[in-house]
Amino acid sequence: MADIVFLLIIFFVLTFNVEVDKTMVDLPRTNLRFEVPKKAATVSITDSGQMRVSDGESASTPVASVQDVLSFASEMLATDPEKDFVLKADRNVPYREVDQVIDALKQAKVTAVYLLSEQETVEGGGQ
Amino acid sequence: MKLEKKSVSDEIPTASMADITFLLIIFFMVTNTFSATRGLDFAIPKEDKSTPLVEREESVLISIHAGGAIEVDGRSMRADQILEYLKPKLERNATKPVIIRPDPDASYGDMVKVYDVLREGKNKGVEVRNINIPTQREVDQFWY
Repeated sequence: MADIVFLLIIFFVLTFNVEVDKTMVDLPRTNLRFEVPKKAATVSITDSGQMRVSDGESASTPVASVQDVLSFASEMLATDPEKDFVLKADRNVPYREVDQVIDALKQAKVTAVYLLSEQETVEGGGQ
Repeated sequence: MKLEKKSVSDEIPTASMADITFLLIIFFMVTNTFSATRGLDFAIPKEDKSTPLVEREESVLISIHAGGAIEVDGRSMRADQILEYLKPKLERNATKPVIIRPDPDASYGDMVKVYDVLREGKNKGVEVRNINIPTQREVDQFWY
């Protein structure tokens, strides 16, 4: 019994990660998915257009505009120029908003952005 | 006088072990969220004024319209037809730029779907090396 319980504990310890951004979004579905680096800064966009940012360690905070995303990204890169960014956007968000966020990240000289996605299923997942 | 001998066990008491481990398991189960930690990487090209900008004439333009319709070089096609169309072009010029231009009203999901198709080409023998997704500001600034 104790052995099994220990195995379970080890499993949970290894897979443990604290979710910094609890925004509920319907992620886009892709066939290709790569592991996103840990401690990457997160920018999330809900389908209603609400944006939140997180530095990857503390909980996310809402931001009002793309300008705030830009200043947040510049701030992040000032401490770590190699900081990775994760874009967690709802798949129903109009591209206009995603475009503005990516543009803000580009202006802040972010080098790598990861687009968070769900696994595409064979039947297309109803999409 | 007979001294009462206190028997001291030389083993670690393990009776409470299971309780403690169960508590730990419950803690990790509750706090662990199997959050989505996978996605597509999206390298942002260095914004360098000296690098020549992609010429539209030499590249393949994939437009994504609002509603999800895809148009490649003016021809409408399904997402699964894109690689087929690109294959001969990329065989002639492996670094042929492919530009994705989503309509501002197209959904983010549709853009990611097309991007995924292009990235996946590598596994299907059609490696698209040069994928560009210019932002609206860049388009306004450099193309017009």
